[in-house]
Amino acid sequence: MNIFQELLESPQNELVEQAVSDGRIPIGYSCSFVPEAFLMTDKLFPVRLHAPGIAGTEIADIYLSNFICTYARSLLEFAIDDRFDLIQGWVFVPSCNHMQRLIDNLEYLQKPAFSHVLDVPRKVTEATIAWQAEELRMLAARLSDHFGVDMSDAALNKAIAEWNTFAEVIQSIGDLRKRAVPLITGTEFHKLIMASLASPKNLILPKVLDFRKEIEQRAAVGDFRARLMVVGSHLHDPDFIRVIESQGGLVVADLFCTGSIPGFTPIEIETKKNGDPIKTLAEHTFKKTLCPRMMEDFDRRLKTIIDTVKEYQVDGVVIEIIKFCDLWGVDSMPLVDALRKEGIPVLKLEREYSLGGEGQLRTRVQAFIESMGK
Amino acid sequence: MKDAFANARHFGERLPGLAKDFFHYSLIGYFFETKSINDAFIYTKYWAFIWGNIFKLVIRMLFKKGPIAVIRLFIQYPWILWFLNATKLLRRLTKGRKGAYLESTALVIHAIAVLLVEKLEEVIYQPERLLINEDLVPPEIAMAMGLNVWLVEGMGILLPFLNSEACLGFIDEAENAGMNPDSCSFVKSAVGMVIKNQQPRGCAMVSSNMPCDAGMASYTYIEKQFDVPTYRVDVPYHFHNERAEKLFVEDLKGMIAFLEKHTPGRMDWEKLREICEKRNRMMELELELWDMMRVSPAPLASEAIWLSHLFLFHWFPGNKVSIRHYERLVELAKKNLDAKIPAVENEKYRAVLWNPPFPQFPDIFNRMERAHGITLIMDSMSYNHHNLIDTSTPETMLTGLSKIIMDGPMVRHTRGPAENYLDDIFRCYKQFDLDMVWIANHVGCKGGQAMNGILREKCREMKIPLLILDYDLLDPRIVSHEGMMKQVDDFMETVMKPRQASPAAQ
Repeated sequence: MNIFQELLESPQNELVEQAVSDGRIPIGYSCSFVPEAFLMTDKLFPVRLHAPGIAGTEIADIYLSNFICTYARSLLEFAIDDRFDLIQGWVFVPSCNHMQRLIDNLEYLQKPAFSHVLDVPRKVTEATIAWQAEELRMLAARLSDHFGVDMSDAALNKAIAEWNTFAEVIQSIGDLRKRAVPLITGTEFHKLIMASLASPKNLILPKVLDFRKEIEQRAAVGDFRARLMVVGSHLHDPDFIRVIESQGGLVVADLFCTGSIPGFTPIEIETKKNGDPIKTLAEHTFKKTLCPRMMEDFDRRLKTIIDTVKEYQVDGVVIEIIKFCDLWGVDSMPLVDALRKEGIPVLKLEREYSLGGEGQLRTRVQAFIESMGK
Repeated sequence: MKDAFANARHFGERLPGLAKDFFHYSLIGYFFETKSINDAFIYTKYWAFIWGNIFKLVIRMLFKKGPIAVIRLFIQYPWILWFLNATKLLRRLTKGRKGAYLESTALVIHAIAVLLVEKLEEVIYQPERLLINEDLVPPEIAMAMGLNVWLVEGMGILLPFLNSEACLGFIDEAENAGMNPDSCSFVKSAVGMVIKNQQPRGCAMVSSNMPCDAGMASYTYIEKQFDVPTYRVDVPYHFHNERAEKLFVEDLKGMIAFLEKHTPGRMDWEKLREICEKRNRMMELELELWDMMRVSPAPLASEAIWLSHLFLFHWFPGNKVSIRHYERLVELAKKNLDAKIPAVENEKYRAVLWNPPFPQFPDIFNRMERAHGITLIMDSMSYNHHNLIDTSTPETMLTGLSKIIMDGPMVRHTRGPAENYLDDIFRCYKQFDLDMVWIANHVGCKGGQAMNGILREKCREMKIPLLILDYDLLDPRIVSHEGMMKQVDDFMETVMKPRQASPAAQ
């Protein structure tokens, strides 16, 4: 497990450095609407942007103000500090107002050599899927021009197959959490996911497979009082999950940007129809992402949570929201109501990007678990 | 009993102040203050017109629906009672203004009163044709379909004009229901009204992804509460291209099909043509007005420009009252221009206000005119640059409307690259020969806040005086009126005064 922890200590870990020295091209991205498989084509590899151990965002505050979510501010602070110096291209999605303004400020302050905004629609119709596919085509053309990489259908199909292999492994580990006696803690699983998102997949895959073997030998992960599901926005720091679990609430399911539900659902490749990989990726992006930025997706999001609660035998749901996030802040209002109507206990937590106020978090979680009679 | 006694005593103590206020804001109070018979006549005329409209609403309802229905209406929508403050608003906004400028301000309040009475009557008499609309989805299409449009956010903007604390109860209600307190008070206010069941419910609802995350996300909750079919239009991020236009036109067609399915409305392209042509007429008049506003000193200013656009273009485009209003504004501006009479006698500085104005403190411009000679020439909500709608075919009309929506205020400034936001400010600054830029730094507008760093540096480079005025759109508890005034006073003292003393520094 320590290997994943070590990979999370820097925004550009040793595997990223190794891949770069092998002549590969890291592309930074910050939103799940950027299909990872797309950025795994040819020499490219995706790096989920994170800001581990950020101590403060003094410079970013000057530009983004104190009212922007700390994730956006942390990324800008790290970018200003050249902590992403290996990243050769940036692919953003205007997923929310905060991300939009991060893009603006980053481009103003850093003037990156390659930066692209993928204009992902906020509702899913045939027209918007076609639009999204076109967006990906435009990105492919730019990547090909700028980096000289092969973005052909064959190359994309190969990348999709690689990503699927990886996603299946992650899913198989995630499935272990459905057991009555899970073999992996939420903290361990989150470290694994975050390390996977921040590393070249081919280099981390052997380590993930070793880890799977290791946990399959286990009998159990210890005594826990309740099984919890965590729902919300960007959650990068596994310590947040660790604090929840320290109070006896085993996190068995996750539905957030950097979680596995439904983020690591394999891509359905249309082999029979000799399908268009870009269109497949466009459709997949909408299916595997459950974000309140999508205007007509509330019921699907709610249903996924309710189904997950049943499938993973969850006792309670923790909704975590980064302070100032309007999407989750507003959306959680009907979400909390709807979950409570279903008889699911809910704890809504407001937090910062990096872990802080650990004592308060412990108290809230402890009280929540007790309120469930566990 | 003890509390009742204390309350009575407290009320008694407040009585002299209340009486003084009542007198100050009354017609007689105005007569005591004004020195011109002509101004007194103008003021009295509009004062009477506004009250006349309020009485017209009540009397017509008494006759058509009976007294019980009137009482029920006031119980269901108690905020209507704030309309009794309309002439108080007239008094606040016209203070110190004279002649044509006084009339232009009074004219805006009167136009809003007339149109709101019209709107309320639609709510009361034709609830089956009521469409609930998000404020940035223009109403032309629904109007052409024979539907009456009610903006969910409409009262959130209007009520604080009448009383700066009018929306606090709604804001608190939304926060108590679990909405994040740091979200925009404009959105909280609309949601609070829905929770308190003080919004009319239509037969369907149309919302959008505009202008911000909170506004967009709130419609999930509103939809659940209203339980009405809802359509959402989606403006692309990169909208300045033909591809985006095509996508959005298809979206509008989807909206029309949705409305035909879920409401009694049917698309009447001839009616849409008529509305679009009238809207074009309004725009031509507004452009004529803008041309005159480029002259220094300006013939009109402030509410005549921004409040007119805010209400008439967003809620009542193509309405005959709106057209007449703009015609009259043009006449008044010409009158002042020909006679070389400045709107603000002591015009020293010409300003643009960026981001939505101050509904809970609209008289700030009036006060700043009198205190510092600052004349508000333009604002971001009014400042548009799109073409007239081509009314030759249904397709061209939809394309024209889609461009207006995508290029609308708070839409083009909240999506696309930073240039969409910044370049407009500098273009406006140049076009109207301005002296300063005011940013209405609404605490809940995170997208706007995150542009201030770049803007500050750009303004410094271009030597443009920039005031970033912190406030909350609807909640005076965040920054008090005194606090807002102090920010302006400090800016004038520390930035503008030294500039004036040393022109070389400019």
